[in-house]
Amino acid sequence: MLSAILRRIGLSFLILILVSLFVFAATEILPGDALDVSLTDDDLAVLTPEQLAEMRAALGLDRPAAVRYIDWLSGALVGDFGTTILTGAPVGDIIWGPLRNSILLAVLTTLVAVPVAMVIGIIAAWWRDRAPDAIVSTGAVVGYSLPEFVSGNALILLFAIWLPIFPATITLYTQGPMLDMLVVAVLPVATIIIGSIAYLSRLLRLGLIESLASDYVERARLAGVPERRIVFVHAVPASLVPTLNAAALYVAGLLSGIVVVETVFAWPGLGLELINSIRKREVTVVQAAVFLGAVGVIIMNLLADLSIIALDPRVRRGAGRG
Amino acid sequence: MYRSISGAVSGAMPKALRQILRTPMTMIGIVLVLAHVIVALCAPWVIPYGPSQLAGMPFEPPGDRFLLGTDVLGRDYLSRLLMGGRITMTVALVGVLIAIVAGAFLGLCAAWFGGLADEIIMRLVDTKVAIPSILLVGVLIPGFGQSVGVLIFVIALVYVAGVIRTVRAQALTILPQSFVAAAVLRGESSLSIMLREFLPNVADLLCVEFAIRMSSAILLVSSLSFLGLGISPPTPDWGLMVSEGVGFIHTDPWLVIYPSIALCTLVVGLNLATEGVANALGLDAARGMVKG
Repeated sequence: MLSAILRRIGLSFLILILVSLFVFAATEILPGDALDVSLTDDDLAVLTPEQLAEMRAALGLDRPAAVRYIDWLSGALVGDFGTTILTGAPVGDIIWGPLRNSILLAVLTTLVAVPVAMVIGIIAAWWRDRAPDAIVSTGAVVGYSLPEFVSGNALILLFAIWLPIFPATITLYTQGPMLDMLVVAVLPVATIIIGSIAYLSRLLRLGLIESLASDYVERARLAGVPERRIVFVHAVPASLVPTLNAAALYVAGLLSGIVVVETVFAWPGLGLELINSIRKREVTVVQAAVFLGAVGVIIMNLLADLSIIALDPRVRRGAGRG
Repeated sequence: MYRSISGAVSGAMPKALRQILRTPMTMIGIVLVLAHVIVALCAPWVIPYGPSQLAGMPFEPPGDRFLLGTDVLGRDYLSRLLMGGRITMTVALVGVLIAIVAGAFLGLCAAWFGGLADEIIMRLVDTKVAIPSILLVGVLIPGFGQSVGVLIFVIALVYVAGVIRTVRAQALTILPQSFVAAAVLRGESSLSIMLREFLPNVADLLCVEFAIRMSSAILLVSSLSFLGLGISPPTPDWGLMVSEGVGFIHTDPWLVIYPSIALCTLVVGLNLATEGVANALGLDAARGMVKG
């Protein structure tokens, strides 16, 4: 079991390195370097080659790409993402506040979505192929099909404009107190959980139906264990394994959704910062935001896989998954 | 989950077709998708004004001249709405087709060759899965610029990983079959075994993959356009139209509502149809569904 855990942690570290290579190469090597990407055509028309060379040297861009990558990675691993290309401000100062606000959104969403999805998934699996299941399944397909920028604007229209209960956009500072953020988080969270609940409840329903059809549930039935006990004591824990297997996809989808929701509601998070940085061509901020997003997915996926090792005796005995 | 190997699928077709016709939600989905495809194909010949033509004053109310009024710049809203799905659908279609072809090839290679090839392909897949789609596009746009070509490339890049995983998993169940061993004994080449023994057995899976990835890709392209990272103005596009109209949501909510309805009916229709057809074929659509 220890070797399975170590193997899994090693894999996460390898993926982390590959992600960092990709993020660095995508912005710094192809087809120009960070400075080429940051400057607009207007800038390039005004600057002389000597000035450009000077700027390159000041930013350390005259060093070989491999050296710059090692430098960037060793900084990134301890949370130092360098300075912005255009203003020279430390990237850390720009991203930590927004990162906290984005994590708040992600945690709130998951805290609400998981229990709701479990109830819905259990209802659908309990009345499988009957009316409640059909309603839940169709509802999930519809919920799944709504892009966040549509559901977000729909909620703004309904609950901020036609029925002015909640604020439409967030006017708080990045460093605003947590409690104020909670009040304005209602509509953004409501927007993201539509997709999250649809996705998680479908996975749980499938996992439940599979485990209810398994041999050991059949044996428990033959032994006279009541159906309710079978569902809640045996099937629900077993159905968590396929759901945890999808953790990476869930977190990745959640983060993509958060970028859109932050833009719709002007939520001062890392997603909004990312979109603004892409517009301003602040490459080092873009690198940091994307890298941190991937780190989030990698960590949650690792935790999910470690939980599976702990939950499932078959995986625990085996050599781990390939 | 039982899956038939080689040929048995065609025998199951009439039964599957009956089930599809009997399920109202599936039929609603198919009708929605067909309606959207027909509108997208016919739009250039039926629109009253050019989609980028400044035909009237800004914010003209609906009337005889402009059935749905005009937008922020005075362009006919109906014309833009009818044209608004074409580019997104095209980008999604081409991108996903590339992802399916490349993903099928790489997935089969990973399963057939195993060892180092498998290890390299799957670690690259893991790497892609770790980067959320919109962030992946975001990190590519500063360097690669923003054009339809780049957009098709990133869509293919986003969806190829999922296809590789699905195809590889299915191919690994085919690997121990006797007809594969027979082909090896006949001395067939790796490429010929992959094309003639494996590909027919993953074909129905690829169709479901295609449908699932299409709806997801349409959502992604629209979301990117809304964020200003996708299709550029003045192209008529639903995601872009929502982002252009959102500043006037207090006074003219229709500028946001119409393109939203158009986009949602397409994606809901596609997902309902996919779900119904996949269920009828005994395939499992839900697990592969990936948003964003």
